[in-house]
Amino acid sequence: MPAFDAQRVELAAAIQNDLALEGVLSSLQARSFVRCMQTTWDVEVIRWSDDDSQTTLDQARHLIRAGKILFSVEGGDPARAALAFRRAAELLEWLARSRDTIGSDIPTALFAAGCYQLGDLPAMASGLLRQVSSDDRGSRLFADFLKADFDGVLRKAARFWDKNKKLTEPGSEARYFGASTRESSAWFSTVELVRCIGLASQSLRRGDFQRFGVALDRLRDVERLLVRTAPDDVATLAFFLRSTCERFGKATIYEPMRRLADLNPDRSADANAFARRQYARGRGILWQAQKQGIDRLLSDSSFALCTPTGSGKTLVANLAILKELLVLEKTDGYHAPLALYVVPSRALAGEVEAKLGTELGREFLITGLYGGSDWGITDAWLTSETPTVLIATVEKADALMRYLGPILLARLKLLIVDEAHQVVVENNERERESLAEHTNRAIRLESFISRLLTRKPDIVRIALTAVAGGAANPVARWIESDDEAEPVGSYYRSTRQALGVLEVSAGSPRIELDRLNDQPLTVRGVGSIYIPLRISPMPQPASTIRNSLNHFTQNTILWTALHLSDDDRRILISISQAPERTMGWYADAFDLPGWEDIPSFAPPEDGREAELFAEARSVCLDYCGKESFEYRLLDRGIATNHGQMPQRLRRMMVALIDRSICRITVATATLTEGVNLPFDMIFLPSLKRTFFDVARQRRSEYPMSTSEFRNLSGRAGRPGAAKGMEGLTLVALPLAPSTTAQGTLSTQRKQVRERQAEYEDLLRRLNNDAHGESNHESPLAVLLSAIREQAMRLPGIDDDDDFFNWLEATAPYDVSDLVGQASPTAEARLADSLDELDSLILSAIEEAQTIGGVATTAAGAEEMLASLWQKTFTRVSVAREAWMEEAFVKRGYGVVETVYPDADERKRLYDYGYSPHVGRRFGKTAMTLHTILEETESYGGLDEGHRFAVFVSLGEVVAHDGGFGFSVRDTEMGRALYENWPQVLAWWMMVSDAEAPEPQDLRAWQIFVSDNLEFRLGVAIGAVVARAWSEGSDDPLDTPTLDTWKDVTKLPWFAFWAKELLRWGTLEPFVAFALSMGLAKSRSEAAGMRDGFLEWLAADMEGADTAEDQIDPRRFLKWSRSIRPERKHVARRRPIPAELSGTDGRLGRYSVIPIRSPNRIRWLDASGYRLAVSEIPEDFPAGTLQTNDYDLVIDDTATTVIRTF
Amino acid sequence: MIQYFESAHLDARECFHKLARISLHPDNDEIGCIGQYPVALPLKTRKGLFGEVMSGMFTEAYKFIGEHEWVIPVFLFRNHEDAGQYIYTLNRDPDRKREVLGRKGDDFIAIVVDQEGNVNRFIAGEAKWRGSWTKSVLDTVMLGPKSGPEGEKVHNNKGVWHEVNRALAVPLGLEQLHTILHECEPDKYASVIASLDRILAHRNPDPVERTDLILLAGGPAKKRKKATSLIPWKDVPFEYEAGRDLQIVEMIIEDGDDVINTIYGGLWAKVAADASI
Repeated sequence: MPAFDAQRVELAAAIQNDLALEGVLSSLQARSFVRCMQTTWDVEVIRWSDDDSQTTLDQARHLIRAGKILFSVEGGDPARAALAFRRAAELLEWLARSRDTIGSDIPTALFAAGCYQLGDLPAMASGLLRQVSSDDRGSRLFADFLKADFDGVLRKAARFWDKNKKLTEPGSEARYFGASTRESSAWFSTVELVRCIGLASQSLRRGDFQRFGVALDRLRDVERLLVRTAPDDVATLAFFLRSTCERFGKATIYEPMRRLADLNPDRSADANAFARRQYARGRGILWQAQKQGIDRLLSDSSFALCTPTGSGKTLVANLAILKELLVLEKTDGYHAPLALYVVPSRALAGEVEAKLGTELGREFLITGLYGGSDWGITDAWLTSETPTVLIATVEKADALMRYLGPILLARLKLLIVDEAHQVVVENNERERESLAEHTNRAIRLESFISRLLTRKPDIVRIALTAVAGGAANPVARWIESDDEAEPVGSYYRSTRQALGVLEVSAGSPRIELDRLNDQPLTVRGVGSIYIPLRISPMPQPASTIRNSLNHFTQNTILWTALHLSDDDRRILISISQAPERTMGWYADAFDLPGWEDIPSFAPPEDGREAELFAEARSVCLDYCGKESFEYRLLDRGIATNHGQMPQRLRRMMVALIDRSICRITVATATLTEGVNLPFDMIFLPSLKRTFFDVARQRRSEYPMSTSEFRNLSGRAGRPGAAKGMEGLTLVALPLAPSTTAQGTLSTQRKQVRERQAEYEDLLRRLNNDAHGESNHESPLAVLLSAIREQAMRLPGIDDDDDFFNWLEATAPYDVSDLVGQASPTAEARLADSLDELDSLILSAIEEAQTIGGVATTAAGAEEMLASLWQKTFTRVSVAREAWMEEAFVKRGYGVVETVYPDADERKRLYDYGYSPHVGRRFGKTAMTLHTILEETESYGGLDEGHRFAVFVSLGEVVAHDGGFGFSVRDTEMGRALYENWPQVLAWWMMVSDAEAPEPQDLRAWQIFVSDNLEFRLGVAIGAVVARAWSEGSDDPLDTPTLDTWKDVTKLPWFAFWAKELLRWGTLEPFVAFALSMGLAKSRSEAAGMRDGFLEWLAADMEGADTAEDQIDPRRFLKWSRSIRPERKHVARRRPIPAELSGTDGRLGRYSVIPIRSPNRIRWLDASGYRLAVSEIPEDFPAGTLQTNDYDLVIDDTATTVIRTF
Repeated sequence: MIQYFESAHLDARECFHKLARISLHPDNDEIGCIGQYPVALPLKTRKGLFGEVMSGMFTEAYKFIGEHEWVIPVFLFRNHEDAGQYIYTLNRDPDRKREVLGRKGDDFIAIVVDQEGNVNRFIAGEAKWRGSWTKSVLDTVMLGPKSGPEGEKVHNNKGVWHEVNRALAVPLGLEQLHTILHECEPDKYASVIASLDRILAHRNPDPVERTDLILLAGGPAKKRKKATSLIPWKDVPFEYEAGRDLQIVEMIIEDGDDVINTIYGGLWAKVAADASI
């Protein structure tokens, strides 16, 4: 270690400590940020002097110097170096975005981007450079490089070489150093920079490490020259270019892909192709968290990756799939390997399917399994010999396990659990209620994964989670089955996030900011930070509106959003209560006096966006109706989204938001829990959540949890958005009552105070969270504790021994005869909780038998459950208590020995999928349902009335049971819908002339449909069909196929479709098929296609088609293949004959880029040297994009250029 | 002279020559060219370099104000052309003003190192070459070019005096000096590097003093009498307001162009001769 190094490091650390403490801004720094925000928002800025600018710049320079020392000097600290670079980046960014005049001396945006790269925040670099662009070509070229846009670099470099043709000749160095040169050496360094940057970009995206090394070495030499011969800003720029280039070399995705290919060289072409595609999508340079994840992935297989939303977790999952299913797997041609990707919502399943489809669709079969039938509408994935990725919610995965357990597990190689922190619960009344009601998702996840790991402990698994801190550690221990395991991941945010208040008053709305990146934000001596918006005040509404403070507040939010969205901002209004009411208010608001001149919405006029918008409108019309709030708002450019919206419509809405066709969205939390949709701003009208306690039939409010709030505000911030880099989450707070009516004044005053207090409470809780671990409980522990607590109140149970004995001997029905009927009594709740526990245990026992092949005994069950306990999340969570394991195991003994001693019954209950006691009660109903299904042999030929009658008869069997039957809310509307459910069914199934709901009732109807028709009736039918399959099949490894389905289940095709029809809201299987296969966008469109099918069928069957043929899914599939347009003949990439120029071709193969002139193409090495020329082939792409790879190939017979990507 | 110039240019020459020798052409055995820096440079550029090297030579050879022992760790040749002009615009002949102007740095930097190895003083400033140092040329250099309406033109005060007066105690370009020392001789200059860190520190930087150097070199005005100075030397000129030590060097030579061409033509002549054998 050279002398003085320790001293230098100490000094650098002091600078970092002084100027760049994480989360702490000095007064000047905070003011600089505020000034930048105010400039972005185009409002009056705070006082700011040239000295302030100079001091800020000096601070940035100090930090860059400190960063360099901490990064490179022995004994330094790269983590602290990153902090120094990040703050330097922020300071420079704020100057750049404030359009500070200092930017005419140094390129602040480029420097900021360089600092962000060195501070491991590459997305911030790109985000900034997308906003602050320069008029200078050189600056733009370097900006492309600093944001890792290599195609952009090559396009600009190509333009440079086109303009400077002489420089493309070999030996052009002589122009600068030859004996009689008159060229400027400074121009020489410019040319060399372009050469290096171009070559580095090309070799990065092509994975040519050797040429990359050459380019980087050269870049170092150019930097050395510029340090000696150029002004300091140019030398600094060279430093950032070179060090960023070095980073790219270390972070290129080719590096891990090559290591992956080392495991199986046969797959190296796949690995390279994957890497190249990532570059094409702008993701070739790995972010820190991805690097960490991939390193773990390559060294050992299972782990938990914990990193914030938007940091590229999906890529890690993709690589895991590639590794486990393709690289390591030698397909035996019979059992193609399978990955199961568990997602928290159906909406997310769609998103993941689309993403994986584009990235891995060539090598894998990707399927989202939306079908109502539990294994999907086609059997393609079951019989395919292609490695397959199944994307499923945990409920669907659970059903698959019951249906296809043995075959599923035989093929399963990889388990990916997305949003794995959803296994964590809080120990509160709400969670206990949902456990007793069998609606808790967390325990489904814990149960499913623990059981899966018990059956297949060697399966590779990866947990992805966006939640750091307390929850991540137990999740890592759980997923790895290792008590020492720690999550992989890192601090990373691709955007900056601010939290504040939208002040609602009679005047113009004003924003107050309170937190920045999870830290309080104030400026010393100034206090809170305000951004007064340049929006005229909302016109004073009529007293009916003002008399509701909530209505007034929400209208003000819409007023504000409409004016802000004008500026390319994407805004979410997140509703936690009664979304239909807000939607109604908003739909009506446009007709209020004074709203005539608000910025109007112009729907897209042409292209894909116009198509999409038209599709969305037709789907909205189809499912909601012309008068609906949803439809009216859509025409105003406002997207809506809530959990009970039909799936098809939700997906359309998401697409409209994603493509920014609708800039304003009104949605419940389901949207943000589900899909990864970033917004620039999120408005919250309320911080309260409503919880409807079905058992007690009452509505209660509770404050939004900090984790929910974090998840929501985590969606704020759209990297690369046109304006601003801050995601804003704003809570709307009224400053004063809106009413003038004396009677309501005091109520509103109280509401104002309450809203303020709720917000302050949120800030306090967020602060507490930031300073310590919250309590993370496991669902199974909460369930066991609830059972124990309540059991201990029973007579004769005084200690653990009594409790254990009770567990071994007590059936739920013994505790309360109201079990399984959603009864609110304490005994019934205990019995229901016990039934929920039995559900997990019974599933595990049955799976041990069907999958593990071990006959069930009471002792065997105990042993198996003891081993399953080892796999539970509970065992590694903080909530574990000593008695729990024993209680769990004892209950297993009780289930087999006392409660469900009959093996056949256990199997039946398992097949049904209900909690066992509910399943037992379902038995009789199941037989009736089975009979109806069995007898509906002619469904294909029935008219609408008869088809509908079949569904009514199915509904009647189920509707009135308190357990598995329709759930009914004890409200006027709830009772009315329950009483008239066939009317709702008729509307939903599109029976002609069925009465539609009034707009304000639409959501209540949708809730009824989704809770009862889609879910409860669908589940009941699904259970009967699954059971029929299971009974009819002898071999547990039997693969269900469409060819054998009818023989095995002995049911008509109607049974195959019934659940699917309920899901899509149609009586016609063809419509459900066309929708699920994406052949039609709306029900009416699908219905319109049916005649074509029938015509085809008649011809295909030569007129002998039966009613069953008309709904035979195999015929649908055959027909759909017949109408698939023939793939256009893709012109083979013909080699382009070329002539060498500038090389003798000694290497045989060169990577080249095209420079097209009117008559020919010059083929250049990316460093700018011409190597060949050719004619322009007819089909050669026009334009100057540099997105393809070309090779110049010289062999004995010819010189040609071929396209390789 | 030749020897001094060769040593002053050695560092930069090595950089240039490495770049000239190796080409990025993919036929990697394709050699670039044998460099001729700085020999091949045009006269205009040579003049700029000449001033900087002479500043160094005078600083080391003469007793300047304060009689300090000056060290020149490396010569920076940063200002003979505005590299940023090309780099930001990618344009050989920019017809448009570029967005980023860049800051002019100090042409030449030397340091005083105390016994503990700490840097306690810099000398830095401006070197100007003019073919004929007439009064009006001098005024333009020192006070800036004239501007204003015809007949009432006045110097715009953007000349050398202005630059020197507003210069900071810590010269611009120090970071580059620091980088080069670290790159080339980290052990030899370990204490200097650490000392420069402290001088550049954010809080309580080590104190350091500065001597301002102005070198005016070139041909005499026709009417010049021998042993007369361009700038009065007995008292501190009133235009100088920085209040530091000021050293002015005037170097008046006849046939300056020939002298410069002779010197630069003779650099590494032996190497060139050897190479041509």
